[in-house]
Amino acid sequence: MAYNEKTKSHYDNELKCIRGAGLFKEERYIESPQAASIKVEYPAGAPTKDVLNFCANNYLGLSSHPEVIAAAHRGLDERGYGMSSVRFICGTQDIHRELENKLSEFLGVEDTILFPSCMEANAGLFEVMLDKDDAMIADRLVHASIVDGMRLCKAQLYNYKHSDMAHLEEKLQETQNCRFRLIITDGVFSMDGDIAKLDVICDLAEQYNAMVMVDDSHATGFIGKRGKGTHEHCGVIDKVDVITTTLGKALGGAAGGCVSGRKEIVAMCRQRARPYLFSNAVPPVVIAAAIKIIDLISASTERRDKLEWNTNYYREKMVRAGLDIKKGESPIVPVMLYNAKLAQDVARDLYDEGIYVVGFFFPVVPQGQARIRTQISADHEREHLDKAVAAFTKVGEKYKILGKKKEEVIAMYGA
Amino acid sequence: MAVHEKVKEFYRNELVELQNADLYKEERTIFTPQGADITVEYPANSKPREVLNFCANNYLGLSSHPSIIAAAQKGLEERGYGMSSVRFICGTQDQHKELEGKVSRFLGLEDTILYSSCFDANGGIFEALLGEEDALISDELNHASIIDGIRLCKAERHRYKHSDMKDLKHHLEQTQNKRFRMVVTDGVFSMDGVLAKLDEICDLVEEYDAILVVDDSHATGFIGKTGRGTHEHFDVMGRVDIMTTTFGKALGGASGGCISGSKVFIDLLRQRSRPYLFSNTVSPVVVAGTIRALELIGASTSLRDTLEENAKYFRRRISEAGFEIKPGFHPIVPVMLHDAGVVQNMARDLYFEGIYVIGFFYPVVPRGQARIRVQISAAHEKHHIDHAVEAFTKVGKKYGVVK
Repeated sequence: MAYNEKTKSHYDNELKCIRGAGLFKEERYIESPQAASIKVEYPAGAPTKDVLNFCANNYLGLSSHPEVIAAAHRGLDERGYGMSSVRFICGTQDIHRELENKLSEFLGVEDTILFPSCMEANAGLFEVMLDKDDAMIADRLVHASIVDGMRLCKAQLYNYKHSDMAHLEEKLQETQNCRFRLIITDGVFSMDGDIAKLDVICDLAEQYNAMVMVDDSHATGFIGKRGKGTHEHCGVIDKVDVITTTLGKALGGAAGGCVSGRKEIVAMCRQRARPYLFSNAVPPVVIAAAIKIIDLISASTERRDKLEWNTNYYREKMVRAGLDIKKGESPIVPVMLYNAKLAQDVARDLYDEGIYVVGFFFPVVPQGQARIRTQISADHEREHLDKAVAAFTKVGEKYKILGKKKEEVIAMYGA
Repeated sequence: MAVHEKVKEFYRNELVELQNADLYKEERTIFTPQGADITVEYPANSKPREVLNFCANNYLGLSSHPSIIAAAQKGLEERGYGMSSVRFICGTQDQHKELEGKVSRFLGLEDTILYSSCFDANGGIFEALLGEEDALISDELNHASIIDGIRLCKAERHRYKHSDMKDLKHHLEQTQNKRFRMVVTDGVFSMDGVLAKLDEICDLVEEYDAILVVDDSHATGFIGKTGRGTHEHFDVMGRVDIMTTTFGKALGGASGGCISGSKVFIDLLRQRSRPYLFSNTVSPVVVAGTIRALELIGASTSLRDTLEENAKYFRRRISEAGFEIKPGFHPIVPVMLHDAGVVQNMARDLYFEGIYVIGFFYPVVPRGQARIRVQISAAHEKHHIDHAVEAFTKVGKKYGVVK
């Protein structure tokens, strides 16, 4: 133990700086299952309050769905709780294979390999696929887990301006001498809710002989007419080489992720992906529930259709109420406030109005682009959406931001 | 179709090379819950067989324990299936805090932060706490997840020879000009079943004013008189700054991991640790299962005592049968066969004798040190262990390993 005063005061000081900069992240305690309506204790020690949740990735409302819970119960009864092993020692049940096959079929790809999380899928993938003779060409706004995966890979790293196809093409031209090139993008960008231009990306990939990798964590299950993801939405189902995605958002939200795509790439991951070889098998209870979920969303598009309806309804009403939202069609609906303090004040006031949302600001989003990211769920009923819009309207009036342009809000509150 | 034939051909060749070098990992399909007795299909498409499992990290036999299953069922009923969120947005239930408190008390440390896995805990700890002014001093045999965590950290990297205290001291001397030094070691080294010399490491760390991190994944729940881990075993509780460990092995084996230590470290990890900020919260069902696992082992040492007896019994019997094992007392019992070919043949034959074990060879262990790693569980009965020793003896004779 060398945890002396010098060490302690250093870390104490770091924490003070984080607090001083208004960047301290506080956790709110939820005392109910995840759902549209939840019981929350916030601030810590305050009495519990019933609020509507508008910040979960529970897009399809499956996180506490009775059929999913029933499937999880059966999984526990029939297949036990944990495997206490990695996959290749004694952690592979027949249901692991079954889920891998179901995911492949649903996504329209050749093969799938499960990981404990999509974070670990992204951490393991690039190092397996590429070496120092190769190039990774990534959108500048890809998720942190992709950034970490790229940091663990020896291939040369290039990035292109967010969704800027001319800039991507420039990078493809610059890297023509590399052995393999991989274009890397999120399918839906989590802070903005915008969809990658996968059709153009795939055209460029073909023209320049590059591979395409998409992280579809904020799309699988609900983007595209049958909910397969951004590749379905953009009409490029056969053209994407590798998809990573999560079971931790729309697909029940417990845990687990995967790499899906060309069978050679999946086979290489089974031999070499470090998080696959050195981290636990996904537990049977999650496998059993995920199988049920794929069955549910393959059998009917009802839930994604409701989510789409909810999203359109909410987006339209928010615009009409005079809130400044990022245009788009995904259920991620950022309400732009530009100033970090304003975002936090508005979020706190909304909580008092019974709407649970979180403000996002630098460094999670660029300086001067602070926002409240609202997320719509198929679990929301119309009256929930109305209530949220009414609360935003009331709080928006208080801060005099309704109908105001970006410049006007910045003039009032600063960026 | 963007992936062209050149790429496919390249990956196909890599796979063939792995097969030719006997390094190809094949998965065996299990049709039952994890336990001492399992039903396995191997090779693929053959008739499933009932075998005894001697290769799981199911040390305490809790992976399918009725009490854990019941707690998980209750968790599902009362807290739902998934949270669909990271912790700081809307992924913290009161039971997450309860579990963090229970882990802290069990390990005898100030505070705890949960991760999706210990892999993620090790991936997120170093970068959040150290910068380029600092040094990391790591045992050369540390787990892959520690290595990946170190790769993501800007601190200067030092590696000391496995459990070589003179070499550790040398690196501590070399790094005196650094702001902070962090010594990191596995509590138990997973390929050998050997414990780190934590008492000596603590002395050195104190002498040189360094911070100590121990990954106790193969110890939490059963090493030490009350199963708290290697720090209890070496009587250095209160002298280890930070521990990382897993719920994916002895504590039920589903998923999840954590970092425990002084509050200020944990507070900072909650603000900065990337896998914590960017990956899902541990699911309610696993939180509920793990809380119950800690209650069980906190209330009675009977499971870890059974495990200790079982490990002792197997170690004695397999030695008497003429096999060379790595000395020690840990339930990881490496049966040393040295030759990669013999290891693979014996593991296969043992399977057909009803014993499921796996061979490990280069590059997982050094060349010439190929072995079958046997793992003992509290779920094993004496007759299971007797069966394993008999099968080892029969197959060992066939390959001339024992007389």
